[in-house]
Amino acid sequence: MGRALKLTDILVTIIIALIFGLVYKLWGPLYGFVSVFGLHAEQLIYGMWFIAATVAYLIIRKPGVALLAEVAAAHGEFIFGGEWGVTTLIFGLGQGLAAELVFAAVRYKKFDMFTVSLAAIASAGASILIDFYYGYIGDLALWNLLLLIGIRCVGAVLIAGIFAYFIVQALEKTKVTNLIRPVSSNDYKDLDK
Amino acid sequence: MEVIASVNKLRLKFPGAESLLFKDFSLSIRKGEKVLIVGSSGSGKSTLLQVLTGLIPSSVEVPMKVENIKIPLSWGFVFQDPESQFCMPYVDEEIAFVLENLQIPHDQMPSYISYYLKQVGLSFDDMHTKTQILSGGMKQRLAIAAVLALESDVLFLDEPTAMLDPEGTEEVWNTIKEVGEDKTLVIVEHKINHVVDFVDRVIILSDNGEIVADGSKQEVFEQYKHVLIDQGIWYPDAWKDYLLANGKPRPQSTGWDSNSAITLTDFTGFRGKNKKIEIKNVDVFPGEWITVLGKNGAGKSTLLHAMMDLIKTKGVYTIFGQDAKKINKLSDYAAFVFQNPEFQFVTNSVYDEVAFTLRLEKWNLDKVSNKVEELLEFYFLKNHEHSHPYQLSMGQKRRLSVAAATVKGQPILLLDEPTFGQDAKNTFAILEQIEYLRSQGTIVIMVTHDLNIVEHFSTRVWVIDQGELTIDCSSSEYTKGMHKVVG
Amino acid sequence: MQLDFSFRETWLHKINPSFKFILIVALFIHILFIHNINIIINYMIGTAILYILFTGHPWKRLLIISIPFILIFLTSSTSMIFFGKGEVTWFKWGLIHITEEGFFRGLHLGFRGLVFATLGIIFALTTRPVYLFYSLMQQLKLKPKYAYSFMAAVRLIPIMFEELQTIRYALKVRGVQSQKGILGFYHLLKSYSIPMLSQSIRRAHRIAVAMEAKRFSDTTKRTYYYLVGFSKLDVYLLIYFVVVIGTSYYFANSYSYFPIQDVRYNN
Ligand SMILES: Nc1ncnc2c1ncn2[C@@H]1O[C@H](COP(=O)(O)OP(=O)(O)OP(=O)(O)O)[C@@H](O)[C@H]1O
Ligand SMILES: Nc1ncnc2c1ncn2[C@@H]1O[C@H](COP(=O)(O)OP(=O)(O)OP(=O)(O)O)[C@@H](O)[C@H]1O
Ligand SMILES: [Mg+2]
Ligand SMILES: [Mg+2]
Repeated sequence: MGRALKLTDILVTIIIALIFGLVYKLWGPLYGFVSVFGLHAEQLIYGMWFIAATVAYLIIRKPGVALLAEVAAAHGEFIFGGEWGVTTLIFGLGQGLAAELVFAAVRYKKFDMFTVSLAAIASAGASILIDFYYGYIGDLALWNLLLLIGIRCVGAVLIAGIFAYFIVQALEKTKVTNLIRPVSSNDYKDLDK
Repeated sequence: MEVIASVNKLRLKFPGAESLLFKDFSLSIRKGEKVLIVGSSGSGKSTLLQVLTGLIPSSVEVPMKVENIKIPLSWGFVFQDPESQFCMPYVDEEIAFVLENLQIPHDQMPSYISYYLKQVGLSFDDMHTKTQILSGGMKQRLAIAAVLALESDVLFLDEPTAMLDPEGTEEVWNTIKEVGEDKTLVIVEHKINHVVDFVDRVIILSDNGEIVADGSKQEVFEQYKHVLIDQGIWYPDAWKDYLLANGKPRPQSTGWDSNSAITLTDFTGFRGKNKKIEIKNVDVFPGEWITVLGKNGAGKSTLLHAMMDLIKTKGVYTIFGQDAKKINKLSDYAAFVFQNPEFQFVTNSVYDEVAFTLRLEKWNLDKVSNKVEELLEFYFLKNHEHSHPYQLSMGQKRRLSVAAATVKGQPILLLDEPTFGQDAKNTFAILEQIEYLRSQGTIVIMVTHDLNIVEHFSTRVWVIDQGELTIDCSSSEYTKGMHKVVG
Repeated sequence: MQLDFSFRETWLHKINPSFKFILIVALFIHILFIHNINIIINYMIGTAILYILFTGHPWKRLLIISIPFILIFLTSSTSMIFFGKGEVTWFKWGLIHITEEGFFRGLHLGFRGLVFATLGIIFALTTRPVYLFYSLMQQLKLKPKYAYSFMAAVRLIPIMFEELQTIRYALKVRGVQSQKGILGFYHLLKSYSIPMLSQSIRRAHRIAVAMEAKRFSDTTKRTYYYLVGFSKLDVYLLIYFVVVIGTSYYFANSYSYFPIQDVRYNN
């Protein structure tokens, strides 16, 4: 019942992360394609890059998985030959940490849509912070910068918050989550009947 | 003698299950014993082995409580399902993984690897072969090799030969007999013929998780025969007694439409670019029960896959005079049971799984529920109707997949080892159900390694060898030939 | 499905994976401190040579892989070109405001993106994941718990594609036919993605149990089937980059493409 990560938790987290790592990799060209429309339309789908953390947290519900998932997904994207190379790892680390902090703030006890949406926004925040140095986005015109931040956050909530929540709900129906989540104390009480 | 593994007052209950699987269960195993645990399918044998090795609850969390437990210091475990026990992608890496865990020096590894592979009768041109492309049987042998590499004192074996051909089964048990000489063995097995001669203690587990018999094998098989029959468990004379009780003549396939229902001419099936199965020319008639025999990896499953049009095929394949490739929905004509029952499942509960096809057919609700209840009752799955298919025991999964496939009553049944991992009562139940369908004119094409089925149920035999149909004859001819060879 | 495709093994494949990885991270950090567009362009040429000549893949494949590079270049640069701050206006129309500084900053970002992309792809094309994780365990003391989880998970990826096939078989065998239209597509997507995810998780769980049953443990020491060490080639790669960086700086000072030394706004 301990909350430390067991081998099972790590392996499951990493497999989820790698699946999303593959999605991340495929997302790159799509992102490039959308950005042709200009005016940061691409920022709306940027949120996909935060989803590993929230999905893994919702499934496994333990400390550390959000960070591990996001870093592993970024690493996956990297070894699958993602277009951003090592950059991905830095972003993954920042985004994962930010989401993890939100989950720590609710003491890993809340698993609702609101909490994961907050985590998604936090990840978006982290990515923007890194972009200030990495992408010189501070040197954009102010209105343009605000537009970017706004759209990225909305996209984050839509994809890494709401969409992630629904995926995990669908997964719960397949009972696979029972395998990995800690068993409730009620089930232990049944033993004494 | 020294007790090497034991539990005292074990209580265990799967979350969501109606009752406890084990209630104040106690068992102890002494050093050097060769123990066989039998029990009907779903009685908790696999679960018990996992408790005795500590995998439950340390790796798999299941609510349990125990007053005292002793787990052997060094143990090896061969799982029921060959697919899920590999940790690495290549044959050599799989065994190397174990050697690494045991800190065998790097430069000794290759020789160890070939040594263990040889012990289970596997040979490769290149040991660096992907495990994925091995046949079910080869996989199970590899799994055993990896466990042998653990060199542990206690071996837990959960139906290690369920999917092996007779030759492979023989070989594996011989291997286990040899390497197990000075070890403690705890074996769970339905088909006990090969095991009986080297175990010395037999334990019978009842449906409600209690030990109903425990003693030397003579004692158990003589004094507790009624228990075995009662619980529907295999024992050495089970087939003989069944045939005596039922006075069953060999089925005849005559009296049916003499037009061939299935024709295959120069029919080939491909995996990727490789030709894996070839049938020169066969005709199949309604009411035939064909058993498909052959070694592991011969191409039996591939044949069924080809006939279900799941893989790329060439040649002539007609069903009731129509070109099979042009049939829009082949599943209206043929039902299919995968070798791995899990491949079958498309819904989230046992009930829905059986009801699925009927709902697609737009049956009305009452009819659906009547039919489903009837089948679940028949296959002893009634208590599990709300479970997820994946939460079932191996045998239960198998039955569910057969139930789900046969529910609609298509004129052709393609079955890939539908009776592996079953206890006696369920094996006979499945066979009788199939026989009933056959007697109504259904064509049954069934892969199996069980020669009793050939002799007592089927009408015709196909033997596949290295991707080719080499023998096609009636069952009586085949069994006659067999006896000649044996005698 | 077969994910790995054939290629000619080159000296880059024989570089110690951990070293290669660290080197690329170090280059990454260094590049972040380069604000001179001329240096970046030279740098790009240096990495491109490595990509084209020494990854050992047929040039057709290399070409296909580099198509998204154009998109990288565009996505990294356009916003900055059109909307970046600057003093010297070249063009102004509605919201669009192209300035000289913004333009070169955009180009700089574009080229830098290309360098990162090329370095990343070189790594991906010349490193077998299994060796990478063995090397990370041996050289960088990554915990086996994580390394083996990664290796098991990487192995599961092609199996996942097989899983898709299994699901397709199951749907076909059970008589499910796909519907048409958007709703049909949604159903299709759902009937594949959710089972695939849940199956992968189940698999992962079983493998973890099997690993523990094979006495895998994080606490005891272990030996390795693959020993990944260092060689002269590692030194060659290091020298290669020292030379690339040296010449990049040298030529940037003596023959510059653009008269810009720093693309940032406030400098
Ligand atoms: N994860 C689970 N959740 C709920 N019930 C389970 C789970 N695993 C097993 N069961 C139930 O526990 C019972 C015992 O299962 P177990 O696998 O131990 O049976 P078994 O004796 O090995 O059967 P078989 O011979 O068919 O393999 C079965 O009724 C099964 O449905
Ligand atoms: N998915 C696959 N991809 C490539 N090759 C395969 C695949 N499945 C099976 N094979 C190969 O096809 C051949 C026939 O395999 P098949 O599964 O049909 O054997 P089988 O007779 O059913 O054996 P078993 O008794 O072990 O189930 C084997 O050589 C196997 O390695
Ligand atoms: Mg079992
Ligand atoms: Mg088969």
